[in-house]
Amino acid sequence: MDALRYVFKRILLMIPILIGISILTFFISNTIPGDPARLILGPKATPDGIEELREEMGLNDPLYVQYGRYVNGIFHGDLGESTYSQQPVIDDLERYFPATLELTLFAMLITVLIGIPFGVISASKKDKLPDQFTRVFALLGVAMPAFWLGLLFLLLFYLKLGILPGSGRLDNGVSPPDMITGMYTVDALLTGNMVAFKSALIHLILPGITQAAVTIGMITRMTRSSMLEVLQSDYIRTAQAKGGSENRVLYGHALRNGIMPVITLLGMTFGHALGGSVLVESVFSWPGLGKYAVNAITYLDFPAVMGVTLLIALLFITVNLIIDTMYHLIDPRLKYN
Amino acid sequence: MLLDVKDVSLSLKREGKYSKILDQVSFHVNNGETVGIVGESGCGKSMTALSLMRLLPDKAKLDGEIRLEDELISSYSNRKMQKIRGNQASMIFQDPLTSLNPLHTVGKQIEESLLLHTSLSKQERRKRVIKLLNDVGLPRADELIDEYPHQLSGGMRQRIMIAMAMACEPKLLICDEPTTALDVTVQAQILELMNELKERTRMGIIMITHDLGVVAEVCDRVIVMYAGKVVETAPVEELFENPKHPYTKGLMQSIPKLGIRKQMLGSIAGTVPSPENMPAGCRFADRCSQAMDVCKTNVPQMTQVKKNHKTACWLYENKGVKKDAAAGSEQPKTAFYL
Amino acid sequence: MPLLEVNNLKQHFISKKGFLSEKRVVKAVDGVSLKVEKGKTLGVVGESGCGKSSLGRSILRLVQPTEGSVKFQGKEVTDLNALEMKKLRREMQIVFQDPYASLNPRSTIREILEAPLKIHNVGNKKERKKVIEELVERIGIRKDQLNNYPHEFSGGQRQRIGIARALALNPKLIVADEPVSALDVSVQSQVLNLMLELQQEMDLSYLFISHDLSVVQHISDQVAVMYLGKIVEFGDVERIYNHPMHPYTQALLSALPIPDPKQKRERIILEGDLPSPINPPSGCPFHTRCPFATKECKEVVPALEEKTDNHFAACIHI
Repeated sequence: MDALRYVFKRILLMIPILIGISILTFFISNTIPGDPARLILGPKATPDGIEELREEMGLNDPLYVQYGRYVNGIFHGDLGESTYSQQPVIDDLERYFPATLELTLFAMLITVLIGIPFGVISASKKDKLPDQFTRVFALLGVAMPAFWLGLLFLLLFYLKLGILPGSGRLDNGVSPPDMITGMYTVDALLTGNMVAFKSALIHLILPGITQAAVTIGMITRMTRSSMLEVLQSDYIRTAQAKGGSENRVLYGHALRNGIMPVITLLGMTFGHALGGSVLVESVFSWPGLGKYAVNAITYLDFPAVMGVTLLIALLFITVNLIIDTMYHLIDPRLKYN
Repeated sequence: MLLDVKDVSLSLKREGKYSKILDQVSFHVNNGETVGIVGESGCGKSMTALSLMRLLPDKAKLDGEIRLEDELISSYSNRKMQKIRGNQASMIFQDPLTSLNPLHTVGKQIEESLLLHTSLSKQERRKRVIKLLNDVGLPRADELIDEYPHQLSGGMRQRIMIAMAMACEPKLLICDEPTTALDVTVQAQILELMNELKERTRMGIIMITHDLGVVAEVCDRVIVMYAGKVVETAPVEELFENPKHPYTKGLMQSIPKLGIRKQMLGSIAGTVPSPENMPAGCRFADRCSQAMDVCKTNVPQMTQVKKNHKTACWLYENKGVKKDAAAGSEQPKTAFYL
Repeated sequence: MPLLEVNNLKQHFISKKGFLSEKRVVKAVDGVSLKVEKGKTLGVVGESGCGKSSLGRSILRLVQPTEGSVKFQGKEVTDLNALEMKKLRREMQIVFQDPYASLNPRSTIREILEAPLKIHNVGNKKERKKVIEELVERIGIRKDQLNNYPHEFSGGQRQRIGIARALALNPKLIVADEPVSALDVSVQSQVLNLMLELQQEMDLSYLFISHDLSVVQHISDQVAVMYLGKIVEFGDVERIYNHPMHPYTQALLSALPIPDPKQKRERIILEGDLPSPINPPSGCPFHTRCPFATKECKEVVPALEEKTDNHFAACIHI
C-alpha cells in the first residue's frame, strides 16, 4: 500500500517537471535565430509568401499564445506537424521511437547479462586472473568509440564473413509483424510470427552489441567497485562467521547490497542510450529516434524537436521513478515518504 | 580443555610485504570459563580471534596449532572450517549496526545459522528463532522476527547478534569488543546477559576488550597482549592484585580510579612499534622504565611467576623462577615451580 | 562572577525529510543552565544522544542557540555580531573528539598551529614562530617535528596537537568534546595529565564533555549529568559520585564496570534504551526507564532544584 502511494505521489510530481521542461524547450527553440517559414519555402521565397506562411503557422502570435496552443494540442494527442516530414509529429514518434526503444532495451539486456556477472566475478576474484581479464575487457569497452566499433563489426561480420545483416530492422521480403508495441521482436512473438521474429532478432545483434559495449564496461566497473566495498563490510564478516560458504556470502549477502549503485547507473545509461544512440543508428541505418532528432534540429523543425524532447524527458522521469521504486523495494531503510 | 592455541603466528601482506601481526601466541580456554584478551589497539587481539575462526584476509600466513575439543582445526580445509563457524564456535563483533545485514530481516539472519548447520524444518527453525530471541531478553519476538536492524536500538541489535551466535549452541563464543559501541547502561545489560548465558550453557567465552573494567566484571582469566605477543596471563583477581609485566602495570596505572581526582595518572611513554620495525629483543623494551641491556637483544619467554600466573619479562627470568623449557610450552611442570 | 554562565539554553534542530513530509523538532538541548568557575572544570556526562555535544557547540555558537543566554565573563554571547564573536573566540576554544578528522591532513603542524595566530593577527612572523615552538615543547613534541604532517603522528600526539592549537591564543575556557574517547588508555592518561598540568599553570577552565564516567570523575570539579537534552543532576564531583540522588545517575554509576574484580556491587540494570529526542517522553524524560517512576512522573516536568547544599537534581521524588 505504501509502495502504491509512493508511486502515485511521484507521478503527481512528474506533472510540474514536464510542464517546466516543455516551457523551457518551447521558448528556447523559438528564440534561436532561424525562420521555419523561410526554411520551408526555400531560398526563392518572396517576403510576402513567407509572411503569409508565418501568419498561417501562427508564428506571428505572441509566444505565450503559441505555447498555449501547443499545450492544448498535447492534451488532444496533437504535437503539431513536422515541418520537415509534413507528418503529424505524433505519427513520426510512433514510427521511430519503438525502433530506438527496442534497440536500447536489447542493448540493456546484454549489458545486464554480461556486465553484472563480470563485475561480481571480478570483485570476488580480486587481483586474480578472472579479475585481470574482465578489467581489461571493461576498459576496452569504455575506451572504444561506439561508431568505430560499429564499423569494425560491420566490416567483419557483414562484409567479410557475411553471417549477420548490416542495416535495417528486417530482411528484404520479410514484412513487419502486426503493430502492437512497434518493437518488431516483441510484436512478432506476440503474434506468433516466427519468421519476422528471427529476422528482427538477427538485425538487432550487431547494433545491440555495439551499443552495449560501452555500457558493459561501465556496469562491470561499477559492479566491481561497489561489490569490493560491500565485501569489506562488517556484515559480510558476520555472514562468514556464521559458516556461510563463499557463494552464499557473495550472492546471499553481498550482491543485494552491492547492486544499488549499479541500478542507478543502469537507469542513467538507459536514459542516455534512448536519446543518444544517434551514432549507432547512423552506422547501422537504424530507423530510430536519434536520426529523426538530428534531422529535426538541422531543419529547425520546432514541432519535431519539441516532441522528441518531451518524449525523452518523459522517459527519463519514468526510468527514474522505476529506479527509485526498485531502491525502495530492495532497501528497507528507505521508507516511503 | 575446550580450546588449545599453541604457537600461533600470523603474517599479513601489506603493501607487497609480509609483516608479522601475531608472534607465537599460546593460550587455552576451558569449558564454562571466560578468558579475557586485553591490550591496546594494534596489539593483535582482534586478529587472534579472526585467526581462531580463520576469517582472515587473502594472503594471510597462519602457523601453529589450534585445537577445538581436541580436533586440530588449524589443519582443516576451508570447507570443513565452514562447518565449525557458527556451529561449534561463533563470534560477535563490536558494532552491531554494521555487523548486521541491513537488507535482511532479523529473523532471516538468525535463521541462517540454523539453515546452515541443522536439518530443522522451516517451522522448527522459526520456533527456535523465537525462543532464541526470548532467551536474549527480547520481548515480542514474533513481531521482531520480521523487522530490520535499522528499526532497532543499539542494545537490541547486539542482543540479536548474540542470539545469532547462540543459535547452534556453540561450545566457544568469541566476543570482539562486544560492548565498546554501546552506552554504559546498555553495556551493563549486555554483560549481565552474557554472564547469564555462560551459567546456563557452560560454554567457553573469549572476551576481547580494551576495557579493564569489563575484564574485571566478566572474566575468570586474563591474557595481556602487546605488539602481537602474549606478555602476561593470570586469573583475573591475581592479575589486578599482582600485575607483573611492566606493560600490564603501566596499563593499570593509567586508568582513572573512582575516588582519586586530579592527580597525575601513570602513563606509558612512546608508542607501539609497527610490525615492520619490531625491536629485536623484548617488544616493550623501548617504552619500559625498567629495561635492561638483555631486554634490547633477547626475547623473553613466558615464565611462571606464581601458580597459573606467567609473564614474558626478563625481570622475572632469573629471580628464583625457572622459565619454561621450550618457547610457549603450555603445560606448566610443577617441578619447575620453586 | 563565574567565567561562563549559561541560562535556559535551548538548541532545537528541525529535521524535515523531503518534500511534502511533516517537520519534526529534535530538542537536542532543552533548557540547560550551568556555570563554569575560573580555573575549574565542569564535567558534562551522559549517554549518546543526550545532547552533550550540542550543548558544547551551542555555547561556543558554532551553531546558533535557539533560545537562552550564554554569558562569558559577564558578557552576553548569543547576540554578538560576527566581528565581536571573532574577538571572543580567542578566549573560548574547542578540542574535538577525533584527532584524525580535526587536523587538516594537507597542512604541516606548524601551519596548523600558526593558523589561529594569523587569523587573529597575533605578533609578527618571528614572534609567532617563538609562540609555536614554546607550544609544541609544552605538549611534548619536538621542534624538528613541526614540519611533519598529521598522519606522521600517533593518535595521542595528534590529540595533543589539537590541544596546542586550542591553546595558541591563550584562551580562558576550553570546551573539550570527548577529547580522549578515541584514544587507548595509556595514551588517554597522557592527554589527561597534560590537561591537568595546563589547567594549573594557566588557570584554565574546562567544559569537559564525555560519556566516560571515570574520566569525568578524574578531571572535574563539578559534574552535570544530562539525559535527553536536560540536566538531571548537578553538583560537586564528590557529592555526585558518592551520593548520587537522581535515579538515572544512580543507574549510570552502578553500570560502570569497575576495574577491580573483588569489588562486587548491586547493580541497577535499566530497562530498554534511550528514547528518541524527536519524541521525548512527557513529564520527566527518564520516567520510561526509571525503576521508581510513579503516575505523577508522566505528567510533571521536574525542575532542577537545589536539594541539599549545592547539589541539584531534577526529580519530584527527592
